[in-house]
Amino acid sequence: MAAFDFAPAIALLPFVSFLIALTVGKHLPKKGALPGIAATAGALLLSIWAVVAVAGGEYHHAVLYEWVAAEEALSFHFGILIDPLSAMMLVIVSLIAFLVHVFSLGYMNDEGEIGLPRYYAGLGLFTFSMLAFVYADNLLMAFMFFELVGLCSFLLIGFWFRERAPPSAAKKAFLVTRFGDYFFLIGVVGVFATFGTGMFASVNGFESFPELAEAALAGEADVNTFGFAAETWFSILGLLVLGGVIGKSAQFPLHTWLPDAMEGPTPVSALIHAATMVAAGVYLVARMYGFYALSPTLLAIIAFVGGFTALFAATMGVVKNDVKQVLAYSTISQYGYMMVALGVGAYVAATFHLMTHAFFKALLFLGAGAVIIATHHEQNMWKMGGLKDRLPVTYWTFLVGSLALAGILPFSGFWSKDEVLYDALLIGLENPIFLGAYAMALLAVFFTGFYTFRMVLLTFHGEPRSDHAENAHALGWNVKFPLVVLGVLAAVAGFINMKPVEDLTGAEILYLEYWLDGEYGAVEGLTYGAYNTLVADVSGLGAADIGPLLPGVIALAVAVAGVALAWVLYNDPEPEEHTARLGAVRDLWYNNYYQDEAQVWLARNVTLPLSRRADTFDQGVIDGVVNGVGSVSLTGGDRLRRIQTGLVTNYAALIALGLVVLLVAFAVVGGWF
Amino acid sequence: MPAEQLPEWTALAPAYILAATAMVLFVIDSIDPDSDNRNLLAGTAIVGTLASVGVATWFLLAWGSGTGPGPTITLFGEAVVVDGTSLFFTVIVTTVTALVLLASYDYLADDPHQAEYYSLIILAATGMVLMASSNSLATVFVSLELASLPSYALVSILKRNRGSSEAGLKYFLIGALSSAIFVYGISLVYGATGSLILSDVAAALDEGADGFEGLLGVGVVMLIGGFAFKTASVPFHFWAPEAYEGAPAPVSAFLSSASKAAGFVIAFRVFVEAFPLDVVAAMGVDWALMFQVLAVVTMIVGNFAAAVQSNVKRMLAYSSIGHAGYALIGLAAITGGNPGHDATVLGASMMHLLVYGFMNTGAFLFIALVEHWDVGRTFDDYRGLARTAPFASLAMAVFMFSLAGLPPFSGFASKYVLFLAAIGAGYWWLAAVGAVTSALSLYYYSRVVKALWLDDPIDGTPRVDSYPRGIYVAIIAAAALTVLALPAFGVGFDLAETAATALFE
Repeated sequence: MAAFDFAPAIALLPFVSFLIALTVGKHLPKKGALPGIAATAGALLLSIWAVVAVAGGEYHHAVLYEWVAAEEALSFHFGILIDPLSAMMLVIVSLIAFLVHVFSLGYMNDEGEIGLPRYYAGLGLFTFSMLAFVYADNLLMAFMFFELVGLCSFLLIGFWFRERAPPSAAKKAFLVTRFGDYFFLIGVVGVFATFGTGMFASVNGFESFPELAEAALAGEADVNTFGFAAETWFSILGLLVLGGVIGKSAQFPLHTWLPDAMEGPTPVSALIHAATMVAAGVYLVARMYGFYALSPTLLAIIAFVGGFTALFAATMGVVKNDVKQVLAYSTISQYGYMMVALGVGAYVAATFHLMTHAFFKALLFLGAGAVIIATHHEQNMWKMGGLKDRLPVTYWTFLVGSLALAGILPFSGFWSKDEVLYDALLIGLENPIFLGAYAMALLAVFFTGFYTFRMVLLTFHGEPRSDHAENAHALGWNVKFPLVVLGVLAAVAGFINMKPVEDLTGAEILYLEYWLDGEYGAVEGLTYGAYNTLVADVSGLGAADIGPLLPGVIALAVAVAGVALAWVLYNDPEPEEHTARLGAVRDLWYNNYYQDEAQVWLARNVTLPLSRRADTFDQGVIDGVVNGVGSVSLTGGDRLRRIQTGLVTNYAALIALGLVVLLVAFAVVGGWF
Repeated sequence: MPAEQLPEWTALAPAYILAATAMVLFVIDSIDPDSDNRNLLAGTAIVGTLASVGVATWFLLAWGSGTGPGPTITLFGEAVVVDGTSLFFTVIVTTVTALVLLASYDYLADDPHQAEYYSLIILAATGMVLMASSNSLATVFVSLELASLPSYALVSILKRNRGSSEAGLKYFLIGALSSAIFVYGISLVYGATGSLILSDVAAALDEGADGFEGLLGVGVVMLIGGFAFKTASVPFHFWAPEAYEGAPAPVSAFLSSASKAAGFVIAFRVFVEAFPLDVVAAMGVDWALMFQVLAVVTMIVGNFAAAVQSNVKRMLAYSSIGHAGYALIGLAAITGGNPGHDATVLGASMMHLLVYGFMNTGAFLFIALVEHWDVGRTFDDYRGLARTAPFASLAMAVFMFSLAGLPPFSGFASKYVLFLAAIGAGYWWLAAVGAVTSALSLYYYSRVVKALWLDDPIDGTPRVDSYPRGIYVAIIAAAALTVLALPAFGVGFDLAETAATALFE
């Protein structure tokens, strides 16, 4: 009995809980929460078992169901690929899903919400889709589950569909991410058309498309590039897929849906809009990194999109008043860091930050959720304050999460963010264009420290500024337990890859790097080392050789400066709004750089007229042709009907005539006489 | 006991059982001429038919269970043959007959001619089974008449109904004309080759026609005329819409499914066995070309005319003409040079006839149900029936979508392999015409489904006062067969292809 025999169950368990919640949920004691908890706990255990097996030097690939098997090895199938990357992600997703299910007992059940079976069904379906996405072995399957998580996100954001804002936010999230996914879909078709396969890894006789692309660039393989040079065409494909990534991971310019998505229940925000689904985009780039590593253009675009998003979102987070809005912008910003890392070839750093961020951001959202419950659904930070003493567990865990987010030594966020910045600097020193991305990311560290502690101070310190805050009620175990688990993880998760410490002491403690480099076991070609070679040799991005200490100190100093400024401004029993001092900039930030307005303008003044033209064309030309064919058919049919006169003598005559025509025609053709 | 160890004469057992059943019905009728004991009469007929279905299925499976084709048994001085093809079509004919009998139990509840009706059906079925086994032009003609004469009477069985009587008379007159053409064709072929046994005709042609090519050609065209009448192919189709519309709906089901299949089997056997294409095409008698013309014209006329009907039964009549066009591809796409391809095309056509037998019978039986309720005949009269008769309406939706060839129904699979086989034989344009007309057919088939399920009744709820068990069971059985034909499609197609391969050997 091997760990991988149960691999399909990792995703299927939550699917079963989805079915249970959907069908009999309203008759169950906790309305579907208990099957969900059991299923995610089971998925978590199986995922850990898979990690143990991968650590034992194995990987797993299996084709579960092939629905199209055409000639020449073109295969559309569902398959499972469990290697170090996906195994790690499985644990993260199932762990957070488990904790969020537990937390939901406190946030949803205890608050007497209605429609809970629908809620738990949504969570179950989401967990199923996300886990299946994570261990998909090919791009098409990944796309299908990518869409499915998007659907779940839509359903859960709009959970309170009777109110005004949530349905509209759900629609926006769906449409904006769909816009990106449209490019992704074309990219998937393009990849299949180019390589004939969407496999991520060359296993079990399959060839992976990143390796085919590499071989094609080296002139060793022949692929259909539709008349473009191979480099150009691969860059186009990479950009198309990147469309989906940018939409899903809320990167500029498709980030606008994420802050609105906070209309959903807070546990949903923690699970879907912070820790896992938003990570799907970044994860997808990491999953097919062998493809992106081939093109310096793509890498530079990824790095700049990431760096710009990191800074841009952080500035907006500075002026928000709603605690969940601050967290939403910080999420966008943090995913920017991961994109920067992927853009500079820092595969390990990106994955590292993905993991630590999943922990501390889920923690912060759940912490915010706890505060929201305690203050009777108050989300405005100016109406909180003084919760430190009333909610000690929440406060301390939230503080840990904030320190991690701000990047303060020795919390997990410091180590991962530091590694991102360090790797960006190394590439930047050799390839100055990347310095821009580094600079933006570094500057964002300052803003991150500032808005994080502005949030902590306004929420927990000082005097209570409303009745709700004054009368905050106590919280149950089901709220505290997830907070404590995540608090511990947010504090210590960084220790698995402490680069500066390794540099100082020489101790071999870069466990995550060894893990992703395949030292324990991996599919050949899907390792950090292999990607590094590609980035250096194929893309030609060299790295400078400086130690991690100085960059680390700089990053820490910038972060501390941000925290200190927040402390100075807001550590006051009765803090004031200092945002007015920013003048016009405040309005700009507060209105999100007028991004929403810009997008609406685009939709109204560009897309709508274009659509009208297309509609005119469709109605006039396309439908005209179709209707024409239809009426010709009906007219022809009507003529044929008239031959049927009902007179049997006519029929006899027509039959005789038909026979004679046939006879004469074939006699002439066959030359019978 | 394995089928192989039975004496040879038992190979015709399905036909014998049917004939014996007809005799038993006669005996019952002569003892009590005015009997209206429906249970006894219908029961006897159904038991006899089911026994025949069982034996035929058993034989067919035994025939196809070996590695290659099973034995070819000839009886009565080679006038009759039993092989895979004959058994395959025997199964189609007897199954359809059983479904029709089941539905007739309720449909003809008030008819004074019970015994006549059942014995005529059984006799016609016997004729059709014999058509499947005919190995000589003489038996072809006799069995064809044995199937046709009861059919004329069956169409006009509702003596007091003017439509039924008129349809019967028209059918009879056109049938007489076609039989005359057919038997004239046989005489010309006999004149050219000096034989009526199919294999002897082929042997004679092998040695050359000695200047009788023209005679042979005229004979072949006339034979085609006879088959086209029986299969309701253009331009010999004029009787079909009238007869199907005027006849009681179970009889329409019987004629449009079983009778058509029987017409096809003699066409398949006569042309493949007696007139090998590579031999006769060299003499200027390219019958494949004639069938190509017929197939295209039939597909187009049948489907286009069906699209403009307002009467559902008449629409189905034209659609059944259209389906004859698809089945004709089985002969039209034969190339003569490549037995493998030819067997695939012919097998695909046989399989289409099998699936068509189920779904078309089911569709006509639904008409029988609606006629039983007496709610009307047009699309408008069907509106909203799904509210009062959801099961039957669901079955009808299955029949319609399957007839249109939509996945995931068996009608899709059979059209798919048929068109694919035609493309494989190089006749992509036949497949193209088939695909385009199928697309058109979706228009009028979906009109029925729309009327049943989506439209509101014009004046209140349709008047549905009873749920006749016999018709319901028959419809559900036909729907089950239509649905199950998809998972069993591979097995069926293998059998059909093997049977077709045996024909070409």
